[in-house]
Amino acid sequence: MEQLVQNLLLGLLLGGVYALVASGLTLIFGVMRVINIAHGAFLILAGFVSYTAWTWLGIDPLLGILLTTPLIFAFGWLVYRLVVAPIRTAPMASTVLLTFGLALVLEAVMGFVWGNNSTSIRPSYVDESFTIGELFLPKSQVYGGLLAIVVLGGLYVLLTRTWIGRAIRAAASNPTGAELVGIRISAVAALVFAIGIATAGAGGAIAAVLYPFVPGSHYLWIARVLAIVVLGGMGSMGGAVLGAVMFGVAETMTSAYVSPAWATAVPYAIMFAVLLARPQGLLGSRLREDVVAT
Amino acid sequence: MSEVGGEQPDTVRRVADRPVWLGRIAIAVASAYILAYPLLSDDAYYQNMYVLSLVFAIAASGLNIITGLAGYVSLGQGAFVGLGGYTVGVLATRFDSISPWWWVPVAAVVTGVVALVLGFVSLRTRGPSFVIITVAFLFLVQVIAINWTSLTNGTAGLSLPPPTWSVDIINWPFYYILCAILALQQLLMWWIQRTKLGMGLVAIREDETKAATIGINLPVEKILAFTASTVFVGAAGAVYGYYLTFIDPRGMFSILLSVQIVLSLLVGGKGTLWGPVIGAFLIEWLNEVANNNLGGGNTRLLIFGGLLVGLVLFLPNGILPQLERFLVRRRTKGKAGLVGARVEPGGDFPVAHDRPAGPPTPADTPLLEVRGVERRFGGICALDGASLTVPDGSITGLIGPNGSGKTTLFNVVDDTLRAQAGEIWLAGERIDRLPSWQRAHRGLGRTFQITRLFREMTVLQNVVAPQRSFSWSQLARIAVSGPEARRAEELLDFVGMGDFRNQRAADLSYGQQKLLELAQVLMLEPRLILLDEPAGGINPVLIERMADMIRELNSHGTSFLIVEHNMPFVLGLCDPVHVLARGRCISSGTAKEVQADSSVVDAYLGEDFSLESESSRGA
Repeated sequence: MEQLVQNLLLGLLLGGVYALVASGLTLIFGVMRVINIAHGAFLILAGFVSYTAWTWLGIDPLLGILLTTPLIFAFGWLVYRLVVAPIRTAPMASTVLLTFGLALVLEAVMGFVWGNNSTSIRPSYVDESFTIGELFLPKSQVYGGLLAIVVLGGLYVLLTRTWIGRAIRAAASNPTGAELVGIRISAVAALVFAIGIATAGAGGAIAAVLYPFVPGSHYLWIARVLAIVVLGGMGSMGGAVLGAVMFGVAETMTSAYVSPAWATAVPYAIMFAVLLARPQGLLGSRLREDVVAT
Repeated sequence: MSEVGGEQPDTVRRVADRPVWLGRIAIAVASAYILAYPLLSDDAYYQNMYVLSLVFAIAASGLNIITGLAGYVSLGQGAFVGLGGYTVGVLATRFDSISPWWWVPVAAVVTGVVALVLGFVSLRTRGPSFVIITVAFLFLVQVIAINWTSLTNGTAGLSLPPPTWSVDIINWPFYYILCAILALQQLLMWWIQRTKLGMGLVAIREDETKAATIGINLPVEKILAFTASTVFVGAAGAVYGYYLTFIDPRGMFSILLSVQIVLSLLVGGKGTLWGPVIGAFLIEWLNEVANNNLGGGNTRLLIFGGLLVGLVLFLPNGILPQLERFLVRRRTKGKAGLVGARVEPGGDFPVAHDRPAGPPTPADTPLLEVRGVERRFGGICALDGASLTVPDGSITGLIGPNGSGKTTLFNVVDDTLRAQAGEIWLAGERIDRLPSWQRAHRGLGRTFQITRLFREMTVLQNVVAPQRSFSWSQLARIAVSGPEARRAEELLDFVGMGDFRNQRAADLSYGQQKLLELAQVLMLEPRLILLDEPAGGINPVLIERMADMIRELNSHGTSFLIVEHNMPFVLGLCDPVHVLARGRCISSGTAKEVQADSSVVDAYLGEDFSLESESSRGA
């Protein structure tokens, strides 16, 4: 029983990290209709930045998200201005391929800079655990998961309680209308892209403490996060969080009770099963089109 | 005018034929060179490169069906190469008395079945889920190949029995069987492009919602296309696996295989017959150069990624379409476009002789009945229990102030939007649970307020595109041919657009597009046509003509429901007229009765508006 509770808690904490990363992806999709295949590559990039900050400057990787996240945010903004902006309104097929190419370029550059060997960040607390009764919770997972939930909460407040958040939500629900009431869509789009990338940055700094990584790890991450977003329903923030928690719990449980080797496969199987019954995902609505708006 | 008309066809044909023939000759020469290469040279480096190029050509040409024609990008195409390879690997290591060649067709079947299932999961909705699921699929099969060791031997991989023939011609069987598979793949693509299925796929790529309203069965066509895009790829993967004689999960399910396939398609040109093949040879050559001369690894990755970004930004159409566009521009330089020409007055309505009788509407049953339909957008209630009927054989009008829910009502009736409550009956049959295309097959046609045509198709293709009913054999029929093409020409003549049949729809003026959309809908032989502002944005002569055509069609038994703001047009044409306000039908009757209804005046002008004072001010 303690075993089950422990795994459930760990799954929820992992789900928090996934939710943070997936929320950025679904935000970018919801506002811009861009599927950012490079999301995982930005995540790994944040891991490497965090690694460098830790080894060179001795900055704790989890506290370091105060440094890495703004850096990745700025980088995301720059990338948007340079390559994504010119085709913002192009069909989705174009943006998928563009961001896919971007992911490959980032992977190659990370390979040149940091090498293709496995990298891990091991601060002092990485081998310690909290012990509550019979429960053993590794400190890095507890810190990482809680931190992710805090950042996610901050994102929620930003989107629902601020002027910028209102502008973003207006742009998502009706770009033309938003433009008419004085919201500059191109500026909002750049901001959204950068915020989305920043969630990958924060998530990457946390994930770097939890798992060793190589530049090619981004495939695993993007496949997972995309699956989460589809499972929850494209563009639905609540769906992304729900899907992320399901993935986190499913992976932890499979790893504990079946075999760690299958841990990455089972969530995909769940996703396929859900989509068979509900093609639009858990909380997704069928895409609707307004005839006049086109 | 007549001079130009007499001269033009001849010159146009002479110039236009030349590039086509040049292209054909180039393809023939290139094919002959590829076919003869193993006979002429035993250079192992190039033979290997061509074998890999052939595998990628088959994979890219396959991908072209779902991505080039239907517009759905797949990043998991490499997984089907791997699936083919693993089929031959698993079977050949278990049955060593049987030649591995026998497993090649088996691999094609296995791949096709897997694609069918995957298509069922991912293609019943539209939009972005598909590409994501293909990525997830690629990772799922790789994880399975790594972990299901009893079947696949895990990361250690599988070694196939080595070839049994002479070392001198060691590559020949692989080489020529791949050539044969590529020929079959090209034949399949060439054939699909010409069929109803192919036209339906292009319609889906251009405008999926519209495609559904003209009777195209979206999930069936997309799933068929996806399956067709993988079958020969599985066979090629099997040959590839046997050629390597060793397969492992990292090699067979590497995402870089998919990258190379996608690049091949993009470089050559999506939707073209030979583009992917040319692209495959170019990219495989680049791949070899990057691996052997530039150090491979991260450099190759950088080149591929950079190329992908560069192509999307600077050459989104690929080499072949760009070349064609360039030639067309040179050919048509200095010539006036045809779209400036006058629309012909048009002919009489050509009554179709093979018109399907359809079940007769039971007496006293209206053709269309909408009962208490509701549709909300967030907090806004666009339709709030709207009910109305369209009597069989009538021209019914639907008017109402802006925002009263007229277009939403149309959308709900033809399933462009799903109603949240209420019932819709067509000729005594309840249709509100049916998808768009099934409603179209039951005799419902619809035009859009802002015309929606398949912009990249010609005018004639646009009219031929609708599918009046669904049958498997129909999908295999050649699209522009036989009675259907003749019928389409007749309808174009009827609306006066016969001269424009070979123009691209995107080049037409707005009024011409309205006429074309009407001809397109008539192809469905509809019993009821929903017209959304047929007189909006077109000139007075054309409005007159539109009214005449509606009357003529009506005299042949077609009923209409018309949304229109042009009141003289509505009042002269329609009986009965329904008035919609705030999502409800507030008044119905003849044009006169409705005009006299004080609630209608309120709805349009507000309750405090006094008709007398306004008219006296005007006088």
